[in-house]
Amino acid sequence: MLEIKNVSKTYGNGSSSVGALRDISMHIDDGDFIAITGPSGSGKSTLLSIIGGLEKVSAGEVLLDGQRIDNLSEKELVEIRRKKVAYVFQQYHLIPSLTALENVLLPLTFCGSDYGGRKRAATMLCEVGLEKRANHKPGQLSGGEQQRVAIARSLVNNCSLVLADEPTGNVDQKTGVEILKLFQKANEDGHTIIMVTHSPEIARRAKRIVTLRDGEIVDQVDQEGCERSSEKGGFIQ
Amino acid sequence: MFTALGVAIGVAAVVAVLTVAHAGEKRIYSEIDKYGPNMMVTPAINDMALKLGDLRLGSLAVGNNYIAEDRVPEIRQIADGAIREAIGIQDQGDIATIAPKLYVDTTVNGISIMVAGFDPQQEIVIKSWWDISKGRYPEQQSEALLGDRASSALGIDAGDSININGEELTVVGVLQETGSQDDYEVFAPLVTVQKAFGKEGLVSSIDIRALCSACPVESIADSINKSIPGVRAVAVQQIAESEMNLVAKVNRFMLVLAAITLVVGAFAVVSTMMSSVHERNKDIGIMKAVGASRGQIVRMFVYEAVAVGLIGGILGYLSGTLLSYVLGPLIFDGLAMSYAPQYLLPALGLAIAVAIVASVYPAFRASQVRVADSLRAL
Repeated sequence: MLEIKNVSKTYGNGSSSVGALRDISMHIDDGDFIAITGPSGSGKSTLLSIIGGLEKVSAGEVLLDGQRIDNLSEKELVEIRRKKVAYVFQQYHLIPSLTALENVLLPLTFCGSDYGGRKRAATMLCEVGLEKRANHKPGQLSGGEQQRVAIARSLVNNCSLVLADEPTGNVDQKTGVEILKLFQKANEDGHTIIMVTHSPEIARRAKRIVTLRDGEIVDQVDQEGCERSSEKGGFIQ
Repeated sequence: MFTALGVAIGVAAVVAVLTVAHAGEKRIYSEIDKYGPNMMVTPAINDMALKLGDLRLGSLAVGNNYIAEDRVPEIRQIADGAIREAIGIQDQGDIATIAPKLYVDTTVNGISIMVAGFDPQQEIVIKSWWDISKGRYPEQQSEALLGDRASSALGIDAGDSININGEELTVVGVLQETGSQDDYEVFAPLVTVQKAFGKEGLVSSIDIRALCSACPVESIADSINKSIPGVRAVAVQQIAESEMNLVAKVNRFMLVLAAITLVVGAFAVVSTMMSSVHERNKDIGIMKAVGASRGQIVRMFVYEAVAVGLIGGILGYLSGTLLSYVLGPLIFDGLAMSYAPQYLLPALGLAIAVAIVASVYPAFRASQVRVADSLRAL
């Protein structure tokens, strides 16, 4: 369970400071699938970075399973990344000198649980349909394939929370849908997914859509009930 | 791989300089060998001046004026033994150059002149500055060599014959002017001169050339004096000392040169390692994002540095040796290079140490990079 309480984020200081997020509060249950949408510069990626401990908050707090994660030391963050939070990036961010299999294996290697890791990594590659590309390097893979490797990598450690920043931003519509299916499957397997996207097509397939504008939540739609919440949730003036 | 190349270049430079310096040192010793004898053995004569007030009446020589030629092997044994011990070699061949000479005053064509009986093979080693201006260097017992002045004074040129106390010799060569006593002398093989003047088995003096970095010239002289009666061995102090000085200076110069190369090479390695780590800032960010700790990242770079150092060290050692084979002969014209295996291990150690030092700092810096920063900066 992820709880975001009155989180604000400003860049710079004094008169030149820019507010990226303003007093955001959100509650995300385990097994949820959230799409965060909004125009460029609305603070979507910043919010995701804060949830993942990549950036510090200026005010407020973030709790993951009851533990504050917005003020963790480097060491504690390493533990969080190994056990609880995984990322998928728009630019895939695979290591170019390693093969697809080795990239998937990487998180297990750092955890030190390398035994049987290769088998687990191969299984994950199989799940994303890339078993035949295991020994290819990222440069030899298409954008969609690279993103599938990145997804396999994010799931290999069985982290409960998967954060995806525009995972379909660099691929065509059809590939985007395939990638989304992988996230949906991961979600069915119990992973909580938080995905930033500006494609309404993609967002529509999430369980909940959160829309940001100018650092504030302006809309929250719960799609399971297919009801548009009238209240512009969590946004306090 | 590019980084390994950087390490290789640094190591190659150091190894090349050291190898050239090492071989050059030998060459310098052999060059120095050309500066004449550094020890002289003369008969132990007590020469007393007979004076009456300021009036010099002549001198009275007490003792023998000659050294028995059969002392030569004993002298060689002492000199070679001392050198072997000093530089720790087992070689059984002759080491020191020992040139015995017999001087006799005689008259040729009515002109008074000094005849020197000599050993052509040994003499030319000691007097390496000798140049033949006409003809050639004597090889046979019946051949003579004239000093430049002696040739013009006697009116005898290369190809003419000369009568020395009844012995008919062919003058095969004339020396170029040396500016020394040699210009006024007639050189003929020792045995021939001994026979001509009835002084078989006798020599007047023996020049000895014994140079090596640690040759104890003075103690060689001492032991000759102690064990061989009737001779007086004197180390030519000035020559020996200035030679040793020169050798020490050359050594110091080579050392400084190698040290500078080492520093420059190390900097080359540091900068390539640094830029290589810097280029992978993004990879480091990715690794951190998937759960790598700082320690793991630094450790990874250290392992890599060891591998890079090893590869670079071996490549550098090989190319440095090759380079020295090319450069050595250019610097010390025609110097034959010798492979210097003693630099292999230090070269590897140096390469690895430098690679580690050069990569740990930037890796540590990189490990501090926040994941967000490195992943966004694309």
